[in-house]
Order: sequence, then structure tokens, then C-alpha cells
Amino acid sequence: MSTGIRTSRALEPVLWFAGLLLIWQILVRAFEVPIFVLPAPTDFLADLIEERHRLALHGLITTKLILYGFIAGALPGVVLGYLIAKFRLAEQILYPIVVFIQGLPKITLAPLMLVWFGFADTPKVILTGLITFFPVLVDSVAGFKSIDPRQYYLSKSVGASWWQTFRLFELPSAAPQIFSGLRITIVIAVTVVIVVEWLNSQNGLGYLVLRAMDGTNTPFLFAILFVASLIGVVLSFGVAFLERLLLPWRRI
Amino acid sequence: MDKGNSAAMSSSSPVRAMVGASIVASGITKVYGHGTNAALHALGPMGLNVKPGEFVSLIGPSGCGKSTTLLLVSGLESVTEGKIEFDGQILRKPISDVGIVFQDHLLLDFRTALKNVMLQQEIRGLDAAELRARADMLFDRLGIAGSEGRYPRQLSGGMRQRVSIARALVHDPSMLLMDEPFGALDAITRTQSRHDLEMLWMETQKTVLFITHSIEEAVGLSDRVLVMSKSPGMIVEEIKIDLPRPRPAHLGEYPEFAQYAERIYQIFAKLGVYKF
Ligand SMILES: Nc1ncnc2c1ncn2[C@@H]1O[C@H](COP(=O)(O)OP(=O)(O)OP(=O)(O)O)[C@@H](O)[C@H]1O
Ligand SMILES: [Mg+2]
Repeated sequence: MSTGIRTSRALEPVLWFAGLLLIWQILVRAFEVPIFVLPAPTDFLADLIEERHRLALHGLITTKLILYGFIAGALPGVVLGYLIAKFRLAEQILYPIVVFIQGLPKITLAPLMLVWFGFADTPKVILTGLITFFPVLVDSVAGFKSIDPRQYYLSKSVGASWWQTFRLFELPSAAPQIFSGLRITIVIAVTVVIVVEWLNSQNGLGYLVLRAMDGTNTPFLFAILFVASLIGVVLSFGVAFLERLLLPWRRI
Repeated sequence: MDKGNSAAMSSSSPVRAMVGASIVASGITKVYGHGTNAALHALGPMGLNVKPGEFVSLIGPSGCGKSTTLLLVSGLESVTEGKIEFDGQILRKPISDVGIVFQDHLLLDFRTALKNVMLQQEIRGLDAAELRARADMLFDRLGIAGSEGRYPRQLSGGMRQRVSIARALVHDPSMLLMDEPFGALDAITRTQSRHDLEMLWMETQKTVLFITHSIEEAVGLSDRVLVMSKSPGMIVEEIKIDLPRPRPAHLGEYPEFAQYAERIYQIFAKLGVYKF
């Protein structure tokens, strides 16, 4: 019985989506909108199927960069967040730098990154990392700072080492807040990678977008956008799944 | 009450020929916070002397500094003035061969009840099977068997308190510091736990510093009861309890009990804790 309810819950958004596509289809056909302005769903779904190998290939390349950039940003974000939250000195030294860099519109660093790191994946990963770094850092600082100081009475009385205190007390305490940073960040990372791929690429979804624009191939553009948002959704679910897996006490 | 059963609360395993440590504190004070406005004189100057293997209770009005005393004695907070000697050594860092029941339990939200207790095993690197058996026995004894897999948020206040008692006992420390450990328990569990603790103490020669609001508990358990004054507290009276052990569930059976209790009431009345 409960699985029946579950299936219908999961089905609901799918039905809405299908309904939306149907209305879209009817409107485009009824008003005879030119295909290069707004293709009907059947147009870009046809492209999606026809070009599925190319879309999958470039989609995977983009996904790989998203994950690398995400990790390159999130890991230092958590580590620095811990240092800033724990040590006054780290806060005094690092925070001004952090605030300054945060004020910088980082996407404008892209050309500089290309000059410094060449035309491979490195500049894309670094730039994505830079942009994902800040939300994670801010949430990590908040997470580590929110730890009840009395918790340290417990950790000290059981004789926990520095590493045990971090692993068994501090990290699990801060984890829910860190994850809320990660959930936001993974979606930002998708955008960043695609935009950076516009600047310079022989592959990836951003590159495909440029190719589609060159030929005013709007249906193909829509097919790419569909794949991009699919990647975003899957990665978001991935982070949510990881959270459920690692923080089982959050489910109660 | 049968002795065989309650003996289970203590350890049947490693026979530690160890008597609990002694605590000698002299002229200790605690001021929380800095600056003239933020500073709060919470305790003392106070002296405190607990002999090895002794069971000592601290009783006193709310806010007088009982929990603060526990934190100072355990080395978890530093004294503002005065010094504490732990087993003859000046106390400089948190003591480790200790089980502490904190007043507000301090259970970790993200660990199940059992994992909260087994934290002792994990961090101290003790034998997992042995500690697990002891944890099972303690859960059973404290009436929380069946709650092992539940998270603190899923437990009642009294259950959380019992989990924190189990955590303080599971590694069989030679010193116990307990801050109102039975405060949130129902009357029956409370009487049972008091008896279990007394039996455990009688068998193992642990040093126990026991904080309570309950005169009955203090008299029922202690070799000595230390009565504290209002904030900033100090010890105003020391009462030796000369009653045979183990003491019965209903202390009213002893006429001496009523006399001890009456004495403590009198002290509180004199201190202005009671206003009738
Ligand atoms: N971390 C702290 N920072 C500032 N003040 C504190 C802190 N802990 C306790 N105090 C203050 O110190 C005084 C003594 O507190 P303490 O908790 O030791 O009292 P207590 O005797 O245990 O009271 P109760 O019986 O209500 O538990 C109180 O006035 C309290 O407000
Ligand atoms: Mg207290």
C-alpha cells in the first residue's frame, strides 16, 4: 500500500512535466512559431534521440569536470572552514583574503586562468573550484562554529585525540550544515562548467552549445539544455543521497 | 534485593587492584568570563577533600556551583585561583580514568544510544566484545534495553539520562563524577539505580563524587555529605553518615536517617535556602 502511494508521489512531477510539454507542443504548432525561435518538444526530442551518442559523450566530459571542480572547491572549503571556525589566528589571517576574493566576480578570471593554465581541463576545474569554494566555506564555518562548547567537555573527558575529536565529534556535528552548502554548490557547478566551456573547448556541453548557436540549430540547443538540466538533477540527487547515507540520524 | 544480580553492574572481568584516586582542592575559585561586566564569580574560595575509595556527596542550592566544582575537579575547566591535587599530583589536564555523568547528559545527537555508550570503547581503544557485553548489561540493568538503536532525540529525558549513566560506567573507571545522575528518573528506577550504584561502589572501591539535590540520595549513598552555601558557593558543613551498608530502599526504616535529613534541612534553613 505504501509503495503505491510512493509511486504515485514520484509519478506526479512526471505527469506535470508531460502536461507542460503537451501544452508547449500545442501552442507552438497553433501559432506556427518558427523553429529557430522556439522548437516544439517533438523537434528537440527528436534531436535528443538522434544525437544521443554525441550528447552522452560530451555530457560525461562536462559531468567529470563538474565533479572535479566541485571536489576541488568543496574539500578546501571544509578544511578552511574548520580552521577559521576553530582558530582565532586563522580567522584573522584568512578571512580578509576570503572576503576580498569573494567580492571578485570570479567568472571574469576565466581569461586569466586560460593564460596561466593553458587550454586543458585545469583552468576549468580551478575556476569551478573557486566558485563552489565559497558557499561551502561559509556553511562549514557556520557548522563548525555552531558546535555546543560543552561537547568538548565530553570529548576531553574520554581522552579523545585531536583527530578523534575532529572525526567523531566535530565533523558529524557540522555535517548537516556542510551538506546544505554542498546541495547549493553542486547546481552552481553545472552552470559554471558550461559557461567556462564556452570560452575555450573542443568538447563538453558548453562546446556543443556554441556549435548549435553557430548553425542556429535551436532544437539541438534545447536538447543540450535538457541534458544539462538532467545532469544537474542527477547530481543534486546524488548529494542528497550521500547525505541520507552518511547522516542517517537526520531522517528521524 | 538480590546481590548476585546487582553485582552485574560492576565488572566481572579485569580485576583491577586499583583504588580510586584522591582529590585535594584548596582555596579554589571560579570566575566565568572576562571583564568587570561579563565576569561571574561562580564558586569559592572552597576547599574539598575526597579520599581514595570514598563516596562523597555535594548538596546545595541551585546555582551555588556544584556543577562548576565537578568541572574543576575533572580538569575540564581551569581554576581561577587555588589548586587541585589529583592523587597527589597537581591537576593540569583533564583526568582520563574517570566516568562523568554530566548534568545535561551531553549525548551526541548523531549516535544511537548504544554507540553513545560505546564511544568509550572506540576512543579508549578497549576490547570491543567485552565492552559490548558490559554495555548490554548496563542497558538491561538501567531499564533501557531495547533502546540501543535509537537516537537521543527519540528518547525521553529519563532515558537519555540513563544512557549517559551507562556511558560513565561502561569502561569501569576508578573514579566517578556524577552530576545529579538520577534527577530525571522515575521513583522506582531511581531507588533501583541508587542501590545498584551503592553495590557497584562497595565492590570496586571507586572514588565517587556525587552531586544531588536530594537529601535522601545524599544520605542514602554517602560516607560524607558536603553541604554548600548559596552562590558563590563554599562548603559550610560536613556530615559523616554512619549507617550500615547496603542501605535499604526505604531509608525511613532508620531513625538515624531522619536525624541526618533533619540536620541538612536545618543547615539550609539557616542559610536562607528555605523561607517559610
Ligand atoms: N559556562 C558558564 N559561563 C558563565 N557562567 C556560568 C557557566 N556555568 C555556570 N555559570 C554560572 O556559575 C554559577 C554556578 O553554576 P553551576 O552550574 O555550577 O551551579 P549548580 O550548583 O550546578 O546549579 P544547579 O543545581 O542548578 O545545577 C551560576 O550562577 C551559573 O550561572
Ligand atoms: Mg548543576
